[in-house]
Amino acid sequence: MKGSEVRRGYRRVDAVLKVTGRARYGSDFDGGTSPAHACLVTSRIARGRISRFEETPVRALPGVLEILSFKNLGGRIKPGQTFPTGGYMGSSVAPLDSTTIWYAGQIIAVVIANTFEEARAAARQLKVEYIEEPPTASFAVGHEGVDFEGQTEKGPAVGDAIGAHTAAPVKIDARYATPTQHHNSMELFTTTCAWKDGKLTVWESSQNVYGYQYGLADQLGIPPADVRIVSPYLGGAFGGRSFLSQTTAVIALGAKMIGRPVRLEASRADGFTIATYRAETRHRVRLAASREGRLQALIHEGWEVSSRRDTYKVAGVDVSTRLYACPNVASSVTVCAADRATPGFMRAPAEVPYLFALESAMDELAVALDMDPIELRRINDTQVEPIEGRPYTSRALMQCFDVGAERFGWNRRNPTPGSMREQDWRIGFGCASSLYPTFMAPAAARITLWADGAAQVQTAAHEMGQGVRTVVAITAAEGLGIPLDQVRVEVGDSSLPPGPVAGGSNSTASVCNAVAKGCQDIRERIIAAAVAAAEGPLKGMIAREIRFIAGYLVCAAGREPLRTAIARLGRGALESYAENSPHGTPAGGVAGMYKGQPAFTGGTFLKDRIQCAFGAQFVEVRVHERTGEIRVPRLVGAFAAGRIVSPLTARSQLMGGQIWGMSAALHEATQMDAHHARYVNTDLAGYLVPVAADIGQIESIFVPEEDSLVNDLGIKGVGELGNVGLNAAIANAVFHATGLRIRELPIRIEHLLERLS
Amino acid sequence: MRAFAYIRADSTDSALRGMGSPTQPDRLNPQVQYLAGGTLLLDLMKLEVLSPHQVIDINGLESEYGRIELTEGGLHLGALVRMSQAADDARVRRDYPVIAQSLAQAASAQIRNMASLGGNLLQRTRCTYFRDTSWQGCNKRQPGSGCAALNGPNRQHAVLGVSDQCISTYPGDFAQSLVALGATVETVGPTGRRSVDLEALYRDAQQPELETNLLPGELITGIRVPAGPWTRNSAYLKIRDRVSYEFALASAAVALDLSEGRVREARIALGGVSYRPWRAREAESVLKGQPLTQANATAAARAAFATARPRAQNAFKVELGQRTLVRALLQVAGQTS
Amino acid sequence: MQRRDFLKVTLAGPALGRLPPEGEAHSRQEEAPTRLVVDLTVNGLAQRVEVDARATLLDTLRHRLGLTGTKKGCDHGQCGACTVLIGGRRVLSCLTLVAAVRKPATTIEGLEKEGVLHPVQQAFIDQDALQCGYCTPGQILSAIACIEEGHAETRAAIQEYMSGNLCRCAAYPHIFAAIEQARPLMLKG
Repeated sequence: MKGSEVRRGYRRVDAVLKVTGRARYGSDFDGGTSPAHACLVTSRIARGRISRFEETPVRALPGVLEILSFKNLGGRIKPGQTFPTGGYMGSSVAPLDSTTIWYAGQIIAVVIANTFEEARAAARQLKVEYIEEPPTASFAVGHEGVDFEGQTEKGPAVGDAIGAHTAAPVKIDARYATPTQHHNSMELFTTTCAWKDGKLTVWESSQNVYGYQYGLADQLGIPPADVRIVSPYLGGAFGGRSFLSQTTAVIALGAKMIGRPVRLEASRADGFTIATYRAETRHRVRLAASREGRLQALIHEGWEVSSRRDTYKVAGVDVSTRLYACPNVASSVTVCAADRATPGFMRAPAEVPYLFALESAMDELAVALDMDPIELRRINDTQVEPIEGRPYTSRALMQCFDVGAERFGWNRRNPTPGSMREQDWRIGFGCASSLYPTFMAPAAARITLWADGAAQVQTAAHEMGQGVRTVVAITAAEGLGIPLDQVRVEVGDSSLPPGPVAGGSNSTASVCNAVAKGCQDIRERIIAAAVAAAEGPLKGMIAREIRFIAGYLVCAAGREPLRTAIARLGRGALESYAENSPHGTPAGGVAGMYKGQPAFTGGTFLKDRIQCAFGAQFVEVRVHERTGEIRVPRLVGAFAAGRIVSPLTARSQLMGGQIWGMSAALHEATQMDAHHARYVNTDLAGYLVPVAADIGQIESIFVPEEDSLVNDLGIKGVGELGNVGLNAAIANAVFHATGLRIRELPIRIEHLLERLS
Repeated sequence: MRAFAYIRADSTDSALRGMGSPTQPDRLNPQVQYLAGGTLLLDLMKLEVLSPHQVIDINGLESEYGRIELTEGGLHLGALVRMSQAADDARVRRDYPVIAQSLAQAASAQIRNMASLGGNLLQRTRCTYFRDTSWQGCNKRQPGSGCAALNGPNRQHAVLGVSDQCISTYPGDFAQSLVALGATVETVGPTGRRSVDLEALYRDAQQPELETNLLPGELITGIRVPAGPWTRNSAYLKIRDRVSYEFALASAAVALDLSEGRVREARIALGGVSYRPWRAREAESVLKGQPLTQANATAAARAAFATARPRAQNAFKVELGQRTLVRALLQVAGQTS
Repeated sequence: MQRRDFLKVTLAGPALGRLPPEGEAHSRQEEAPTRLVVDLTVNGLAQRVEVDARATLLDTLRHRLGLTGTKKGCDHGQCGACTVLIGGRRVLSCLTLVAAVRKPATTIEGLEKEGVLHPVQQAFIDQDALQCGYCTPGQILSAIACIEEGHAETRAAIQEYMSGNLCRCAAYPHIFAAIEQARPLMLKG
């Protein structure tokens, strides 16, 4: 909790706008004039083609202006590449291109009408018939010796893992499963498109405005300069607004066809199929250790469901094989095709499923060794990753465990499963490691310092609630030595200097380092003039000893008001355009940023080192002895993530992440009708996320950490760290409470009931 | 949502006039609907499960049907009383805790502020195959089209009172407490006023498209709950994945008349596990005259689920439903928290 | 309860109160939407708006009255983002026909009085009870009602009675703290 004392005075800079309803989200814009309204029609089958499409009666319905389908848009939208293959799209299926159906919920038509009510009613009247083929809904069981059919790639490996596993005295071999999950951010997928003088403006919540601009221009075959994406505030994203969905290009063309702005507000149910989601995964983890608990072998095999069109994968063996010291490691990832939409990034995409498997397995190994699970992790802690031997720039995993264990009261844990009770509730304590790679990307920012000492920062970063405006404002206020309320921040617009996609927890590190550079440039210009001046208190002083503090230039000999120092330059405003190119950025990485393709670096990608943030997750669960409900009265997380720019917003993010972890363990799963390869719980009554009453006591502790290597400002990201490993910590706590090892998420009443008294 | 004409009724007569003379086939998707809280009607109209030509707003009748009255003979709840009003009513909480609890544990504070008690009784199932009209197998929505839930994801579905035509779950909570207490509903319709035993209002699963025995155009105006020595000694226990704002996986409404440790009379209804609000008379009989022990409660629960017909994903409800009932019985008997 | 002076629903299109055609159970004669002129009071301001009878209060606030502070998260009464106060009670504007509104409505835009934030708004800032902020207007209106209903005496009561407002960012613990901060101020003033 000490960390929270630091800079307590800072508050979220956009909080007033958010509590008054004045913050405008993508879905709050109407395109400048009264827009027409669009409604989607989606496929009820998962595989096959459209055989009959009867639009004439619908065109005659009141208010209907246009119907978009393969009939008038076929071939009009260029199929794009998915993000992992160098493109901007969530799926390589071109929308409304043909009669082919790739997945249930695929858009097959868009009805545009004068009002929302008319569009919605008319869309339902569209009669469509299909020729249906039997779909594959999920993993297809493989042949002899192969778990599931798919494309297998080897992952990180070292030594002889199979041999070491066979020979070791203590070992486990277990299989785990995680379900399909959807982001379900609170804001619906909404797009408003308007054309003016041949140029297109799109109001849509996006965590990648440059990517949307270039991707959309490519889809439509128009110059990127003619496309602008506006997204000042996002109503949540969590990865779900990283890639262009199936709708934007279609709505843009619709607006062009009817010569009027068009607004699409996709339904909550539509959101389950028009964008991406977290893929279903399966795992087999084999661990072996000496009797003292030293790991001798780690074999992690993962299977992931993707679409028939795209072999998207998260391949979390990249991190799960590098978390602990181990001389013999093997891994593989198999991508399995199903008749589903293409999955994509969702908050800690790789780490959530893969560390569920690894951290559950570590707990199982601790049980097999009759060892405290924290001690097992301590024995296998390392400052060097075991595959290529690269050093971690900093790693405070065990400090996190120590701080967290103390706070949580881990020493009150009786290690015998089922031994802790209170009235009708069985109590379980569980823990797990968390880690998240510190990714970075190039970023640019324009800093303007006006003669009156106020400043503006412009960068196409994305305000998803993580507080990017706040960390940028803090960085600029510190960099220029001015009060926080004198900094204006503009983000979320593709007409601003480029920032990277807000993903991989990179925003704060990437953007703040660019902002700091720009501030430094301005400081240097002001200082140069001040020390060279014919008069003034700083005349002839040593430049590097001058600091900018609270509106003054200060050095040991004296101080001068910032305004006076600016005035000396004879300018109404000083401007600096800064680019930051982080360590390891490949050639062309900065240029790529200007086309919405920032080169991600850092994390596990570097040749000379590895950089990650770490954490320790602690959980208390209670399981009702009679009826098996699982409750979570306490979550304690201790996290070391370098320099925390804004403790207020960082704590909120970690806390939210921890609740996400609980949710992943106990609540969230998109259920599927396997016969039809269709989701069945596509609303917020059926797709469970935690409500207020589910929340226990939650502590998010910052473990102080300085890392001068990771980047100039020493920042690691915290956006995803909070929800990694917590799913395993809960499964481990459920085991401790009940003696039942549940290896499939979410853990539900039916998993526990039969074995309770 | 299909276009409709909207009218406001300012009297029972004008409401009935607006309703006209609906015909029998109209019962599947009535052309005229009464609008009270709208939490059910608007939801299903947006989904086009319901698509009336005309909506009659009856909220203007609140002065007539919006009162809670307690007499020696029992409790009378006007049909336009809002869920939150009854849940928070001190008299209901004291004398009929099972009713107050079943309401307080349902939906959310906002929905409880809107939804009327009359409308609440007529909740429709949450089964996806019913709610999403793009699915083709739903006998409840399209008679004869089959039931996709039989072999589909059916974790939420019912194990009691089901048929091969339909295994959907009645999603409400309030009706269970009323069925346990033997409530009757009062209605007014084109053919006049009548009073109907609530349990008998709900039809069985043989013809799933017809859910109630309300006559076309009939409006529920009130609910009468008879007094009894068991009403104060009652509780509603609801088990679900989330702590709040979720439909039941299993629930039990229990009211007991206990004398010197023996059950003189038990009133039990089950929810979350059944096709309709389910009075568990077999369980009541097992307990009658017996001491309320763990063993007897377990025997009663077993009797309640003797006819259960589980499917692939909801088999756990047979066990969970029994455990829920045992826990509720012991709780009302003061033997557990 | 009969506050008819706040609202009049009048006809702008076809006959109001038209009886359904008899004996035509499933054949819809015409799809033409009924247009209604609705008078309503929002944040103390009398408004007259012509709407489709199907229009919800939510869509009318957002698209006809320019009050986009009220948010749509599900349109089916499952998330609470659209919570507003009608006659001081919290309700879901997505499941409310605008034509059926009989009492004055208060939205997030109506809470600030002469430049001073409502104690609950201020508490949400102080406690950082929000992240993306999309559910925040609904949370704040729900919280105000929760306190006024007397359902905020304990942390447990707050949690239960705020469960109709989902927050996907999961700012929940800070929301509870904000309600605890604002409650004494609200009850005092």
